[in-house]
Amino acid sequence: MFEVFEHTADLGLRVLAEDEPTLFADAARGLFSIMVANLDAVRPVCKKAFALQGSRRDELLFDWLSELLYVFETERLVLSQFRVALGAEDLQAEAWGEPLDATRHQLEHEVKAITYHGLVVEQTAQGWRAEVIVDI
Amino acid sequence: MGMERFTGPLEPAGECCWRIPKSYKPGMRVDGLIYANEALLEQIRDDQAPEQVANVAFLPGIQYASLAMPDIHWGYGFCIGGVAATDPEEGGVISPGGVGYDINCGVRLVRSNLQESDVKPHITRLVEELFRRIPTGAGQGGKYTFNDRELKQLMAEGPRWLIARGLATPGDIDHTEAQGCLEGAEPDYVSPRALERGRDQCGTLGSGNHFLEVQVVDEIFDEAAARAMHLARGMVCVMIHSGSRGLGYQVCDDALRALRGVPEKYGIVLPDRQLACAPVNSPEGQRYLGAMRAAANYAWCNRQLLMWQAREAFEAVLGTPWQQLQMNLVYDVAHNIAKFEEHEVEGRRRRVWVHRKGATRAFPPGHPEVPSMYRDIGQPVIIPGDMGRASWVLVGQSGSMAQTFGTACHGAGRVLSRTAAVKQAQGRRIDQELLNRGVVARARSWKGLAEEQPDAYKDVDLVVEVVHTAGLAAKVARMRPIGVIKG
Repeated sequence: MFEVFEHTADLGLRVLAEDEPTLFADAARGLFSIMVANLDAVRPVCKKAFALQGSRRDELLFDWLSELLYVFETERLVLSQFRVALGAEDLQAEAWGEPLDATRHQLEHEVKAITYHGLVVEQTAQGWRAEVIVDI
Repeated sequence: MGMERFTGPLEPAGECCWRIPKSYKPGMRVDGLIYANEALLEQIRDDQAPEQVANVAFLPGIQYASLAMPDIHWGYGFCIGGVAATDPEEGGVISPGGVGYDINCGVRLVRSNLQESDVKPHITRLVEELFRRIPTGAGQGGKYTFNDRELKQLMAEGPRWLIARGLATPGDIDHTEAQGCLEGAEPDYVSPRALERGRDQCGTLGSGNHFLEVQVVDEIFDEAAARAMHLARGMVCVMIHSGSRGLGYQVCDDALRALRGVPEKYGIVLPDRQLACAPVNSPEGQRYLGAMRAAANYAWCNRQLLMWQAREAFEAVLGTPWQQLQMNLVYDVAHNIAKFEEHEVEGRRRRVWVHRKGATRAFPPGHPEVPSMYRDIGQPVIIPGDMGRASWVLVGQSGSMAQTFGTACHGAGRVLSRTAAVKQAQGRRIDQELLNRGVVARARSWKGLAEEQPDAYKDVDLVVEVVHTAGLAAKVARMRPIGVIKG
């Protein structure tokens, strides 16, 4: 699950999950929910694959979200469902969604970038927790 | 992390100035200084922005103090409203976070010979025409597209390159900070990803706090300076706030990625990863500077093309060419940028890299970098407020050189978080409320208007009063909005 938390000028995204792959998948959904209002109405008609490398989990989360932002902006692709697999130093993912359609998708925020400020990926007693602030 | 209140020291340090002594945190190389009056100071304590002022004081080579303007609020790494100058000869660093993702975000003000009474009968049509012509909102592309070769020329030359394409005039260039072109831009350092994001976004507004407003000059405070800018009471103006769009965001993102592990390599200890930096005189530092300058020049082209489309919208609605409407650029000023400037620090002339993160250059009368038509009055400082109350034009004063590396505030500064603003707006029609205040507003989303509602911002008049009283910049004119378009 994810929630948006307060930051004065920007928005914070907090994600809680039982395991790391779910944490990364929910973070991706959280990011798209900031950009598109009615994410549940997005139809999973196209699939996109991702492969990323990184030895630090927090930087891998940062790179994953940045990659999604780039795809959204340059391919105009709204993604809403994610399956993530994590290795020791890599991420493999598949995402489903559809091309942006202004008549059906309500755009909300332009996320300029993912920031490192307060970036956290950590294991907790209940599972995994991530926090990231995005620049609006 | 949440919205915790700052409980550290803020000691009185002169007229409208408060000090965070460098003893507050081990690792601070200089004091922090925040410009504010007592009322604003209470709001400033409400989040972690003062802590960020203290963190910036860790940067190697920082001179005099880590500074913050009265519109300070919590950012990422640097606070918004932050100013830091570093000396390369003392191991000074350049920090992409001290410029921000939106490289050369800034404002421009366009005047006209129209009176409020000329425009008021057409204001709804005019705002709709502006909204129809000017792309706003997330990731929106526009009617101008450039291939890689053209983009690189545009980034090397700035808006001057648009003259031959009939999209700028020599007068526009003369009224732009640095004539819209930072020397030393290295378009080849801009990544293919950044080029791809920038291809069709030049001439688009974006979202967040970016806007285009139709305004009326409400009050003049300095007749001579207003005359020099051809501003008069009752005059209709256009104010444009935007930056370097996806291209600039990607340049910053690329730089921060390239800086992973670099502070450690140079033995730099930082309290926040978002402050990542490299010595100015290092390959990493030089690479960022070349790309940052290229993105800054792109941003000036973006605001030029936004202004051009606004001129076309006025022509279409009023049926008169923009030249006859005298829709001339008053000035364009950056408020997210790093520039190499000469300043006197502790009695010695030094060339320093001034980072301005949500802060406006405010050079005084006589400064050689102020364009000749404004040399006697000082550099125009354009301060957008909020969309319900007011915006301001000031001119730089000598106090800015003595106290803040030639800098003043850049806006009102947020007082409510975005989530709090949305909560306050539940069940309300912000566009209707604005209409009742005489402002026609169009936005892509309800949330966009809710987050940017006037109550989300400090009172810009109070912020401007502080920089005026502290002698950083002097009040010239106050404008109130009558039309606004947003993302």
